[in-house]
Amino acid sequence: MNQAAEVTEDAMTAAAARGEAAFNDADNVDDMYLTFALADEEYGVGIGVVTEIVGMQRIMSVPDMPHYIKGVINLRGKVIPLMDARLRFGMSERPYDDRTVVIVMDVEDALIGLIVDGVSEVLEIPPTQVDAHGQFGKGGKSVISGIGKVGDRVSILLDTGVLVSDSDVTLPPDLL
Amino acid sequence: MSAQAETTNDTGLVRVSSEKIGRLMDLVGELSLSVSETVHSPDLQGLDLASFDAAVHRLTMIVREVQDVATELRLVPMDDVFKRLRRMIRELERQTGKKIDLVIEGGDTAIDKMVADKLYDPLLHVIRNSADHGLEGQEERVENGKNPKGRILLSASQIGSEVRIVVEDDGRGLNRSKILGKARERGFFGPEEEPEPSMLWRVIFEPGFSTADTVSNLSGRGVGMDVLNSTMTSLRGRITVDSWENKGTRVALFIPVSLAFLDCIILRLGKTLFAVPIDVVSEIARPEGDELMNVSADSKRELLKLRGSMIPIVRLDQFFNEVDADAERKPVPPILVVFNTATGSIAIPVDEVLDRQQVVMKPLVGRLASVRASWGCALLGTGEVALVLDCERLASGAAK
Repeated sequence: MNQAAEVTEDAMTAAAARGEAAFNDADNVDDMYLTFALADEEYGVGIGVVTEIVGMQRIMSVPDMPHYIKGVINLRGKVIPLMDARLRFGMSERPYDDRTVVIVMDVEDALIGLIVDGVSEVLEIPPTQVDAHGQFGKGGKSVISGIGKVGDRVSILLDTGVLVSDSDVTLPPDLL
Repeated sequence: MSAQAETTNDTGLVRVSSEKIGRLMDLVGELSLSVSETVHSPDLQGLDLASFDAAVHRLTMIVREVQDVATELRLVPMDDVFKRLRRMIRELERQTGKKIDLVIEGGDTAIDKMVADKLYDPLLHVIRNSADHGLEGQEERVENGKNPKGRILLSASQIGSEVRIVVEDDGRGLNRSKILGKARERGFFGPEEEPEPSMLWRVIFEPGFSTADTVSNLSGRGVGMDVLNSTMTSLRGRITVDSWENKGTRVALFIPVSLAFLDCIILRLGKTLFAVPIDVVSEIARPEGDELMNVSADSKRELLKLRGSMIPIVRLDQFFNEVDADAERKPVPPILVVFNTATGSIAIPVDEVLDRQQVVMKPLVGRLASVRASWGCALLGTGEVALVLDCERLASGAAK
């Protein structure tokens, strides 16, 4: 689990600067989420799968991929496919800027990079503060694993397994 | 560290875990990439670098040598596999009641450990078939004037960057008329067609081709040959079969010595880079207008006329469904690379042929695993990533 710790240094520093003790207990990694922005929505992925966060890299195109896979990057000798989160969710495309980052995740033993508008911070959201999402499942497995609430902030928590799968995960209209 | 490396004094051998060697291989790959990144750094452009270039040359040579040595670390003698197979022969003798003489040659031929581990099962199938169906019973052999003891030759030898493994028996050989009949039934050949032997024997590797009722000689080969086929595909190898009536059958496997590095030509089409193993490229052509032909009647197939033969053109952007099949077609890109494949030659149009280089191969995992007709990713010296094309699957996929 030291991977996750090392990787989120930046987010941690940001959190620490706000006076929040984010990483006081290494055992509750399961409750830790890296939150990021897409348009004016906030999403979160479990910190356990995140291996690092890097700035936008040179993307090389690869054929035979769905439109939301923008290509691959070469990250220190590792070839990692990049998924554009906006395109994955059927949102409008936006040119990458200097806030755009790639969240590199290890999902089911394969690395994948998620392109997001910007990372926010690492939040601890205990299970009691996560709403089940029954109402979002419209047949099949939903990409949303729950809605996390911390104070008046709401983060949409993603199921990374479903996120990287082939299945159609266009978000339900009431969330767009 | 030293606790895990167990030394044997008299032979000077060190036992090292394959994970450590794998880690070393990864590092050597990264090393050669970062050397090339440094050398090709845009900061150096326009500078006069006489002594730098000399040092770079030396550095590149050393890196190449380190790469070779690291690759050698993973090589093991084929004997490791052959010995296990020899034990199986005893078993097969008991099961079939035949006397079998197993002759092993070239057991010291070196091969990548990862390849060797995958070869046992497919080789066992080939040998089992030889023993079971290729070799005749003792009485039949004596009647045909053969030594009552059947002979299976198992040999390995290195030819260039490939290892050739041969399994040869002196049995009754494949039955041409029965295999041809079955192949015609399955639609591989027309009813009047008389294929070359090498083309005909290839059908025994078709999934589920043989069934017990085909011919005793082939019975049971169906599944076993499938295993052989899929293993060979994953090892980037190829298979040839020769057979002579009453004299025997020879199955030869050709496999690259190492899976980690590959000698490739780098091609560019649009923004995408592709790499192809150098040994499948037969020619690079820059055709004039009248050397290109359209056959609208045959689903708009395009052909390249090259010294009298017609070579089908496979457009990568169409193959990968990057363009709309019904849309007006763009003119053929200027350069055509011609490949030899088992299903005949194909020509692939590209915008540019960039370079020939030894690339580091990475398997396609996760989301990338679904890319068709590819062996994996190639990391180029420039840090770019190219898709290594599997021309066999490209040719057979495009033919459909």
